[in-house]
Amino acid sequence: MAILALAAVAYVPYGLRSAQAPRGGSTLGLIYGSTGFAFMLFAGLLGLRKKYPVWRVGRAQAWMRGHLWLGLVSFPLILLHGGFHFGGPLTSVLMWLFVFVFASGLLGAALQHFMPRVHTTQLPMETIYEQIDRVRGQLAEEATRLVDETCAALEGDVSSATENQRAMAAGAGANWDVTVASGMQVDEKASDELRRFLQVEIQPFLQRAGTHGTRLGTSTLAAAMFRQLRVLMPPNLHSNIDDLENICEEKRQLDRQSRLHKILHGWLLVHIPLSYALLLLGAWHAVAALRF
Amino acid sequence: MSSQAAPDVQLTIDGTTVSVPAGTTIFDAARLNGIPIPTLCHQQNENPVGVCRVCVVDIGQRVYAASCIRQAESGMKVQTCSEPVQAARRTLVELLMSDHPAPCARQQHSGDCELERLAGAAGIGEPRYPKRSTPRGKDDSSAVIAVDHESCILCDRCVRGCDDIRHNWVLARRGKGYQAGIAFDTNLPMAESSCVSCGECMVSCPTGALTNKRVVGTELGDGDVLDPSELLHLPIFQNVSGTFLELNQKAVVKRHYRAGEIICREGDFGSTAFYILEGKAEVFLSSPMAHVKTDGSSQGFFRKLKSMLRPRDEHRRSEESDRPFIPIDASVDLPYDKPIAELNAGDLFGEMTCMSYYPRSATVRAKTDCVMLEMLRNVLDILQRNKTFRAQLERNYRARALDSHLRSVPIFASLTKDFIDHLRDRVELIRFSPGQVICRQGEAADSFYLVRIGFVKVSEERPGGELILAYLARGGYFGEIALLTGNPRTATCTALDHVEVVRISRDDFNLMLERFPDVRARLESIAEERVAENRKRASQLQTLPVDQFLANGLMEAQSLLVLDLDRCTRCDQCVRACADAHDGVSRLVREGLRFDKYLVATSCRQCRDPLCMVGCPVGSIRRRNSLEVIIEDWCIGCGLCATNCPYGNINLHPFPVELDDPAHPGRKIASTRVKATSCDLCHDHAEPSCVYACPHDAAHRVNPPEFFAGLLKQSSPPRG
Amino acid sequence: MLRRTRTTKKLAKRIDLQYFARPHPLRQWRFWLSVAVPALALGWLLTQRAQGGQKVYSSGPLSASHAVFTQQCSLCHVTRVGAFFKEVSDEACLSCHDGPVHQANQTFTPPCSSCHAEHRGAVRLSATSEKNCTQCHAHLETRNGQPHYAVSISGFDGSHPEFSVLAKRASDPGKIRLNHYLHLLPNLVGPDGKRVQMACEDCHRAGSEGEDWPYGAHVARSTVSEPVPGAPLNRHSSYMAPIRFASHCAACHTLQFDPRFGNQQVPHDKPETVHAFLAKAFAEYIARNPSAIHQVEPPNRQLPARVRIPKVARNAAEWIQFRTEDAEWLLWTKTCKQCHVLQSSSGDLPEVAPANISPRWLEHAQFDHHAHRMMACTACHAGVPESHDTADVLLPGKQMCQQCHREKGSSTEAAEGRCFECHAYHDWSKARRTRGRFTIPELRGTAQLHTPNN
Repeated sequence: MAILALAAVAYVPYGLRSAQAPRGGSTLGLIYGSTGFAFMLFAGLLGLRKKYPVWRVGRAQAWMRGHLWLGLVSFPLILLHGGFHFGGPLTSVLMWLFVFVFASGLLGAALQHFMPRVHTTQLPMETIYEQIDRVRGQLAEEATRLVDETCAALEGDVSSATENQRAMAAGAGANWDVTVASGMQVDEKASDELRRFLQVEIQPFLQRAGTHGTRLGTSTLAAAMFRQLRVLMPPNLHSNIDDLENICEEKRQLDRQSRLHKILHGWLLVHIPLSYALLLLGAWHAVAALRF
Repeated sequence: MSSQAAPDVQLTIDGTTVSVPAGTTIFDAARLNGIPIPTLCHQQNENPVGVCRVCVVDIGQRVYAASCIRQAESGMKVQTCSEPVQAARRTLVELLMSDHPAPCARQQHSGDCELERLAGAAGIGEPRYPKRSTPRGKDDSSAVIAVDHESCILCDRCVRGCDDIRHNWVLARRGKGYQAGIAFDTNLPMAESSCVSCGECMVSCPTGALTNKRVVGTELGDGDVLDPSELLHLPIFQNVSGTFLELNQKAVVKRHYRAGEIICREGDFGSTAFYILEGKAEVFLSSPMAHVKTDGSSQGFFRKLKSMLRPRDEHRRSEESDRPFIPIDASVDLPYDKPIAELNAGDLFGEMTCMSYYPRSATVRAKTDCVMLEMLRNVLDILQRNKTFRAQLERNYRARALDSHLRSVPIFASLTKDFIDHLRDRVELIRFSPGQVICRQGEAADSFYLVRIGFVKVSEERPGGELILAYLARGGYFGEIALLTGNPRTATCTALDHVEVVRISRDDFNLMLERFPDVRARLESIAEERVAENRKRASQLQTLPVDQFLANGLMEAQSLLVLDLDRCTRCDQCVRACADAHDGVSRLVREGLRFDKYLVATSCRQCRDPLCMVGCPVGSIRRRNSLEVIIEDWCIGCGLCATNCPYGNINLHPFPVELDDPAHPGRKIASTRVKATSCDLCHDHAEPSCVYACPHDAAHRVNPPEFFAGLLKQSSPPRG
Repeated sequence: MLRRTRTTKKLAKRIDLQYFARPHPLRQWRFWLSVAVPALALGWLLTQRAQGGQKVYSSGPLSASHAVFTQQCSLCHVTRVGAFFKEVSDEACLSCHDGPVHQANQTFTPPCSSCHAEHRGAVRLSATSEKNCTQCHAHLETRNGQPHYAVSISGFDGSHPEFSVLAKRASDPGKIRLNHYLHLLPNLVGPDGKRVQMACEDCHRAGSEGEDWPYGAHVARSTVSEPVPGAPLNRHSSYMAPIRFASHCAACHTLQFDPRFGNQQVPHDKPETVHAFLAKAFAEYIARNPSAIHQVEPPNRQLPARVRIPKVARNAAEWIQFRTEDAEWLLWTKTCKQCHVLQSSSGDLPEVAPANISPRWLEHAQFDHHAHRMMACTACHAGVPESHDTADVLLPGKQMCQQCHREKGSSTEAAEGRCFECHAYHDWSKARRTRGRFTIPELRGTAQLHTPNN
């Protein structure tokens, strides 16, 4: 890559010398144009390389760096090729396309440089982006199950008692059903409140992507709500509430991950289609200009 | 007390005069005359010992007499239920109840704890006396009988039942004072003792000290439930307590199979074992005898790397085993070339499935019409401890499997037939229960072992920690190094589950070495290799700062795929490359726990303690010396290794195969079979595909201690 | 306290193993956009094409002479059947220009556009590469199989033949005797007797006939000093003006014939005319001076080589005759003969060989003295000051030209050495007049063009 950079720098005096006839069709202009286009073609081939990652035609990393450097160098080359003029409509369009592709490429390179760290630090509970919906569904199920369990405990339903409770009860020696039941504090009101909380707040929040202005979407507000909930619950069930809070936190992180991921990958939606158009029109331009 | 010239004795019981033969106890005398006396330690079929004193009666002497043991004498005046007697009994019961965990197990299960019944009858509620402070514990080791020493009242019934009635001489008393209790053999856990699970002690116990264990899936439906008497007629159930069988009636059923019917399929999970009463059955493997091979180069420019199945003759991998026999969970082993064998009447199969809930290791199909017994673990346990059955089992093993087992040990392949015959009768089959140590590092060596069933962990104690050398399954062998060199044992062998080993004594071993010097030569070379390997692995272990690494299991790993999260753009190229390299099934998941700034991806870690290997019903997953996991050709796709891997690194890869159509013999039908796959480090290529395909240089396959050496040296603990 | 745990296996189990193969919005968008945008671009291109606007092709600027109709691509790229043709047909060029054929015997005629390439910016359209010439002349063949010229010329290098007049070692075909050396001597006797030093440009000027020649005199217009008919049209001041007695010689070379008439000169004309003039002049004289019949003439000492005793006449007619003979004898043997080549003929009067002074030595190449006006004459015509013979061909050889005109160098390093600099492909002697047909709106593109006739 250092060689490429040097070559790029060496082209500048060339360009200045030929400034007297900055035309695309002059020999030098043709050289610029064809090298620039060749670089662009190679850059475009990166997409193909990525599609078949098992081909042992060079490490993906080497291709990526080649893509970046050659793309970088092709920009001044094309500028020199056109002599900084934009020319007719076709070449104007081409030049604008190129500017956009180049700019989006630069943006993407910058994003890829510092976004991953942002991703890592802000999202300790991240998962695979394409599976966020699935994981969110699992979170919703887990929350529902957890609430069911907690409510059952609150309502005195012994069958849902935890292993711990059963073991303790059995150790106490009495009929363990009775022991477990007497150990629980039956609280119907708390159970209703919890269920209401689930239906009104948690489930709408967990079932849809994004916060959509739900109260649980803000972490401070959510913390306050859960604090209130904890006051209602008996202390031995606080761990369940902690788990619920953790589930909501995970969902918030998944939302954030979705956003960040879109930023990290969204520029590709500009870069790739425009670069295909660029290659197509560039080829047309090269053929047309040389034939006519 | 002579019986001939014994005149009848006359005595008065509760005002009634009775006449009984001389030598009759007061209890019997009262019983014969319809006067009940409550007892606790006395049982009709046992010799009385008079330890509980609940049956005391007032015979007008200074102390009350225990009626169960005291013989009736002429002119005795017996009061069985006067106020003071009743008060005495009540106090006794209350004292006993004070230590009794009411309701005890028996009371809970069947409501017939004799002590609590007595307490209830006496109107004793909460005992006034404090509970014993030192708990006496439980013993859960047996498969069929639960031992709860808390409930034991030391009535001695079980001891007498085991000794006097069944003549097994397993139970005895131990300890004194508050430490007193019953013990099996030399106070071993019940399962490790010589207890034969006849059930007599359990049947005799008045309280919940010895109760019938509730086994999972206690009831086997839709078979013919057998009457215990029928079972007792079978020679293999000789000397088993009928009551016990009655209690476990639904745990064994008789089944009838028509010829051609499939009895069990390989890879299915189950919990029962089968004993063939009549008929013949075929046991075979229907999975293709081939392993997963991924092409070294892409087929054509645009296709992904194809994965296909290749048998080991066509494609040899490094350190591929050449074992001619596949070990399965039956009394025979299947030959590799044609994995099919026959089971006859008297053969047992499915032991490992029944005892340890492993998947079925092979498919069994009835060749003729068959009658089989299907049983659960508790009944199998009875059988396995039954002397008659054991003799039969060992006979079968010696006749059919020992040969192939010995021959599958490569060094013994050249033994002559007469020597094998000689060995046949001289080997011992020894059972071990889970966790029991078979031989210990540093002990003197006196035997060579072959594993018949179960899993054995071979490990070595090193300064840095325990190093697991191998997991051995059926057909594996160990113990030869020490025998050869004469040094103490170099490793500890522990049974992981219910293990049975074939033990060849040192004399026979040496005899073999004398008669077959080439065996000796080969053994010595293998022993040298093994010693060198162990030394190499140990040196690796020594350089590890074991104490600094957190237990994400990273210490266990010898090779990790880490993704540098500061560079990873979450583009999924690594996963795609892995999938493309393996026919569309990725062996890598880009999810897992983090370590510092690295994501430890879910991909085979080449663990030092390869838990995936434990439990393979056909022993097809093992580790090469180069640490890579290799899955042999006969993997049946049961998925147990995938379940066992604590990181979820093993996935099952489906392949389309053609199998014989059972309905139309000679024709084939298309079907799918799965084979277990895990990351194979892309050993056909210079670099793993995932690392190769990452455009941002974020994926690395590393050796954890080296890679994280810098981090480990820092004082702050890594974030998990 | 949290009871939720995260283990690798739990996390991994959440993931569907085939997730990367399933469709996903981001990837789908990327794919469809990558299809749509280029399709859009293609559609835009095609609509542009369909509209006939050819600006999309950005072909490059036109030469200066054609820039006036740069908007009208179809003027040259004639649309036939509504389609745009990249090839420019010869008819398009011929609608304005005429391009006469080069040689009748040439084996093929290249199309106009093969040599005259447009769309290269403001360059000379006629400045074609030598390849266009050497495509024939490198291995010359003719239809009748007899090429008259050098067969293998690859440029103005060693393969270019020497100028034919020099190669044939011909002599100057001119029949006027001239000694350059004498004329360039200093201290010549000039007109009015003054001493003069002549310079090249006194006689040789790239000028028109009406110029002021230093050694010209007003003499009667003669019929023999017209430019050779059929000479090629040349541009103004390309070639030296033809040598004419009246412009270049008359001032010094006077044509006196008889002392009785003083400085009166015979007309510089055909011998018959001179004879008639002489007879008339003598007749007039004797009519005026009848007594002169019997005068005895002194011997004519103007020709010391040969003394002629004049005859005495008996009457006027005889006197006229004798005196005419005397004058003609002077003229034919001395005065005219000094420069002209006279041949005696069957009659009394000699025949004067035509002067045959070549106005143009290079028949197949164009030479422009005006372009070389910075040179001294002798810089190229080096042999002139030493030339004594009329027969000397004083044309410099191609080596002289090759010193400046190099073919291989770029136009910034040497004089233009490509073929077109000296040679013309088109035989302009056969040019036809063309008739312009375009109106200004048509040319400038504000009106629709009709398809020009072929």
